[in-house]
Parts: sequence; C-alpha cells; structure tokens
Amino acid sequence: MSISCFELTKVYDGGKAGWPALRGLSFEIKMGEFVAVTGPSGCGKSTLLNIIGLLDEPTGGRYALNGRDVLTLSDRERSDTRRDEIGFIFQSFHLLNRLSSVENVGLPLMYAGADGAERKERAVALLRKVGLHGKEKKIPLELSGGERQRVAIARALANSPKLILADEPTGNLDSASSKEIMQLLVDLNAEGITVIMVTHDKELAARAGRNIRMRDGRIEQ
Amino acid sequence: MRALFNAVKTGFTEIWAHKTRSVLSFLAIAAGSVVFIDAFSAIFATYERIEKQKEVSGMARLKISQNYSQTYSSPDDYVPPPVITYEDVLRLREKLPGFYMVSPEGRDWRNVLEYGEHRVTTSVMGVTPEWTKRDFIYKLRGRFLDWHDVENKLRVCVLVKKAAPPPGNSFNKSMMKKYNFTGGFDTLVAHNDLLGKTVSIDGFTFTVIGILEELPYSRRPETMTGYSQEYKVLAPVTTLIHYNFIGSYQTLDVSIDTGSEQNFEESLRKINNFLKIRFGDGDFFIVENQLELIRERIAASMKSALVTISLGMLAFLAGGIGIMNVTLATVFARTREIGVRRAIGASRRDIMLQFIVEAVMLGLIGGVLGSALGYLWGVPVKVMLGMGGSPIKAWMPLVSVLIAAFTAFVFAIYPAWVAAGLKPADALRAE
Ligand SMILES: Nc1ncnc2c1ncn2[C@@H]1O[C@H](COP(=O)(O)OP(=O)(O)OP(=O)(O)O)[C@@H](O)[C@H]1O
Ligand SMILES: [Mg+2]
Repeated sequence: MSISCFELTKVYDGGKAGWPALRGLSFEIKMGEFVAVTGPSGCGKSTLLNIIGLLDEPTGGRYALNGRDVLTLSDRERSDTRRDEIGFIFQSFHLLNRLSSVENVGLPLMYAGADGAERKERAVALLRKVGLHGKEKKIPLELSGGERQRVAIARALANSPKLILADEPTGNLDSASSKEIMQLLVDLNAEGITVIMVTHDKELAARAGRNIRMRDGRIEQ
Repeated sequence: MRALFNAVKTGFTEIWAHKTRSVLSFLAIAAGSVVFIDAFSAIFATYERIEKQKEVSGMARLKISQNYSQTYSSPDDYVPPPVITYEDVLRLREKLPGFYMVSPEGRDWRNVLEYGEHRVTTSVMGVTPEWTKRDFIYKLRGRFLDWHDVENKLRVCVLVKKAAPPPGNSFNKSMMKKYNFTGGFDTLVAHNDLLGKTVSIDGFTFTVIGILEELPYSRRPETMTGYSQEYKVLAPVTTLIHYNFIGSYQTLDVSIDTGSEQNFEESLRKINNFLKIRFGDGDFFIVENQLELIRERIAASMKSALVTISLGMLAFLAGGIGIMNVTLATVFARTREIGVRRAIGASRRDIMLQFIVEAVMLGLIGGVLGSALGYLWGVPVKVMLGMGGSPIKAWMPLVSVLIAAFTAFVFAIYPAWVAAGLKPADALRAE
C-alpha cells in the first residue's frame, strides 16, 4: 500500500478563518512502512489520518492510494476501499456497545457480504490472533481498555487490509497495555501491512520505522 | 438481498434495544391504523348501503303529484283542477310499456278500522301490485294484492306490522306515544294475527290477505326516495275508488321508475307530453325528478365517507411524523455508530437502508398492532357499546398494514437521508 500526498490542505467549515488545519503537506509512504505521526495537540494529525483513510476530504491538494487518485471516487468506491483495504484503530476504540466481540469483529465482513457462519468463523480466528480467545461473547463494557483495543484491532483486520491507520491507539491505555498493543501493530507490520500511527508517546514512536513530525498543519523537517 | 437481511437483523436488535422509543413510535402508527380501519369500514358500509338503496329504490325515479301551489288571479277564475284517474294511469302505462314501474297511489285519511271489539283509527292507501316493485322493505306473510283483486275491485287488504321502535330514550318514547294517533292500529296488528281475518274499514268489510312485516331497524334496508311514508292499510286502488274512499275530485299520485338512467330525460319528456295532451297547458301537476335527489344523497354520503377517510389519512400522517421524529432522534443518538459503520465500509446506501428498514419495521409492527386493535374496536367493542359492528373485510387490515409500512417508509426517507449524508469523520467525532 503506497501513499502519496501533494500539497494537501484542509480548512474546516466551522474552523477559524485563515487557520487551516493542514497547510500544504507533501509526503510519500511506501508499501510495508511503519510510520509514526507525532506533533503537538491540534497540529492536524487526526485531520491528516482522516483524509488518508477516506473519512474526510482535503480542501486542496492531491492524494493517490496505490497510484490511484482516490479523491474523485464515488461514495460507493470510497466505502469499498475503506472496507477492503483500510483498517482503523481509534483512541476510544469505537466499538458498538450492544454487540459482542464476535459481532463487532464480524461487522466489516457483513458489509463485505459474508454470511453469518463465515463471519463468525473468521471473527473467532481473529480474536484468537489478538489474544482474546474465550472472550468472544463479551460485550465491550465487560472488557478492559486493552482488550477493547484488541477487539478493535481484530475488527480492523477483518477484511485483510493492506493499510492500518491508528489514531492514538494507546491514548486511553496504561503502559503495559500500550506495549502489548504496540507489539501487535509491529507484528502486523511484519506481516506486510502498512501501518500509520498517530501517537504522543516518544517511546512508541521510536519503535516505528519512520517518524513524521507535524507542527501547525505542516510537516517539520 | 443480503444487505436487506442484515438491515432487518440490525433493525430487530435496535428496536429491541430501545423498547420504549420503539413502542412510542409504533403506537402512533397503530393509532393511525385503528382510525383508518374504522374509516375504511365506514366507507365500505356507506358504499354497500348506497348499493342496497339503489337496488331497493331504483335510480330512475319520478313522481307525478298535484301541484298545490297553483295560483289563480281571482277567486272567480277558480275551476276545480283536473285529476289523474285510475284510467289515466292505465293509459300512461299503455303509452310507456318500457317503464319498470308505474304505481298509482291514492290515500284516504282518518279511517276507522274495527276488529272484534277493537276500534282504531288508521289511513288506507290504494295501490296496485306495481307498488311492490320499489321501496319494498318488508317481509310478506300471506300474499300481496294482485291484478285480479284490482280488476274486480275486491275488498281485500294488506296490513303493515311495525317493527319495534329502535332503542331511544324515554322522552322520545313518550313523545311518540303522545303524537302517534294511529298507535292503536300498530298495537292491534302487533298483538293479533289478522291474516285471513275480516276487518271493517269505515263500515265496509275487508279480508286481510297479507301482512307486511317491517324488519327490525338494524336489518331494514333504507330507501333513497326521501319519503318516510307511513303505510298502514293497503287495498286495491280501484276498490277504494269504487267505495268512495278516494273521491272523484282526488288525484292519484303516480310513482314511476323509468327503468334506466340513460333515457331518463327522454322519459321525463314523454311523461310531460302525456300530461299536456291529456290535461292541457296548466301546471296542474308536478313531476318530481327523484333521480336528482337520489344523486344528491349519494354524493352527500360519499362526501361524508371521504371526510372519514381523510381523518384516517390524517391519523397516518400523525403516525408518520411520529416515525420521522423517532428516526431523526435515533439518527442523532447514533451518530457515532454511523461514523463507525462508515469507517469499516458501510456506504451511504447501507446507512440509508438501515434506517429506512428500521422505520418500516416499526411501521409494520404498528400496522399489525393497529389492525388488531382496529378489529377489536370495530367488532366486539363497538357491538358491546351498542354502536353496531363495522363491516371489516379481511383486506382492510392488510391494506392498513401496507399503508402503515408505506407511511413509515416515506417519513423515514428524510431522517435516513440525513444519516447517510453525515461525513464519516464528523460522525465519528460525535459523542
Ligand atoms: N470538524 C472540525 N471542525 C472545525 N475544526 C476542526 C475540526 N476538526 C479539527 N478541527 C481543528 O483543526 C485543527 C487540527 O485538528 P486535529 O484534530 O487534526 O488535531 P490533532 O493533531 O489530531 O490534535 P490531538 O493531538 O489533540 O488529537 C485543530 O485546530 C482543530 O481545532
Ligand atoms: Mg487527534
């Protein structure tokens, strides 16, 4: 999964006039890289990740995913790309509280058209992979923060994405859990998945293959 | 298909997870269904009644009667107006053989009927067998007058037996007693089986050959001619003329059914023509066009039925707005979830489908519930309250459920569109 961005800008509708969240970012990320994005609060890290993940659109600039201009795609195509190629991990997990672990992990498979049995089988396997064997029936409220983030990682892996976008995945976790989650991401990267992770944690950032440091909507050289 | 199935499944989970909200929203739709079923059965009842009335009364009705509002320039100009005699009726009949009914009616008032030691006042009406062709709302015991009776001026008669009055309050009943001068007659016929017996009317003996029993109010077909004619004693018109119950100065009314609405205008002209040739130019008679009246009555019934159905529609509208409200609330309450679903691959269409399916399911549940309640209200409850059950046909609840689902669908489109229009990034930021 290669990413190339050129002169990305983002101005929020509700944001302060003349204070763009992104002010012309250009960079490339090659397939299989592990990139940590760091920078002070409000510098535009989440904004950037949302744009890379097709959750939001830039105001200006160009963005190609695997050499394909994804800004001109239809909603359907963008949704399918998110579903099939990208896995998201969020600081606050973003699990659906009414669904059990298996159901949460099976959700992306549902949108991919898998039937119930298929979904369950794959979800159970993924939960085992992230070390949650035996917690399949638990709903998020019955799990610890670290466990919830593992469920989220399993969900991100459901459709075998080639890119994982993690926005402060350890922001709500203690240091022990943080290390475990980080290890999982490192392992996934070792399997060939491109990982882009936003973090404030210098130690974790140091374990990434490359760091992109941001300040005021720009990349710090 | 699978997407739909998944949406239904998610819908069930959501509806189940938010029982109170769901119940409230489908109650609104259910209320709509109840009103709608009630309105629909009311319309249907009206329609059936009109059809039945058409059948009983006929559509192409006319009535010839004396023009009492004739004016004369001075008392000296007054000449007794001509009268329609039985012979005139026969001639009219001969001229217009295509007519379905030409029924002469001559009435006498304040007759004294005696049977044994009973002595009651009544009024006799002279008719021919034609009389039974329209507005016949009775059950006949014995036989009716036939042409033999008429031709031979036989002293035979048919008595009308009133049904028990519909339940009313005691005030109505006492007023009825007070002003019902012929009440004695009704009681006499009700309590004595006079069929085959001989009675005396104003001193002449008549044989009772038939009893016309009025059906109870609930089963009595209605007529559309607008006359609440009270018939008591029916005898051959010729007999009444012969024995001077009907004087030679007295005109016979003629009730006519031309048999078809198509040639109605033409028939009307023919009758006026006949009257003109027979009696000259004076406006001695009026030909009442009852078709117009009947049409007006049908239109009025239909109008009231439409009012009822629009009430039902209004109820559905309220239900639909309820569903819209609930769905919109759901969308705002689940914004973050929408974001999550979008992030993991749900398209706008998936989101839209999910909310619409959920609303339609609420509509369906509400519709089914409402139909059941509507049936309970329309049949057992209304009967218990003495309002008479509604004629609910099997397809009415079905239609009602479909309309409920459709209403929910229509009203869910906007909230679903709002949900689908949320940008994933914005939706995810919601708390
Ligand atoms: N939806 C929005 N509407 C308006 N302004 C926004 C919106 N989202 C972010 N911003 C603004 O854009 C800028 C960048 O925000 P962003 O969330 O990308 O920062 P961040 O680097 O992720 O910060 P943090 O480390 O606190 O998560 C901030 O000034 C923020 O207030
Ligand atoms: Mg952020």
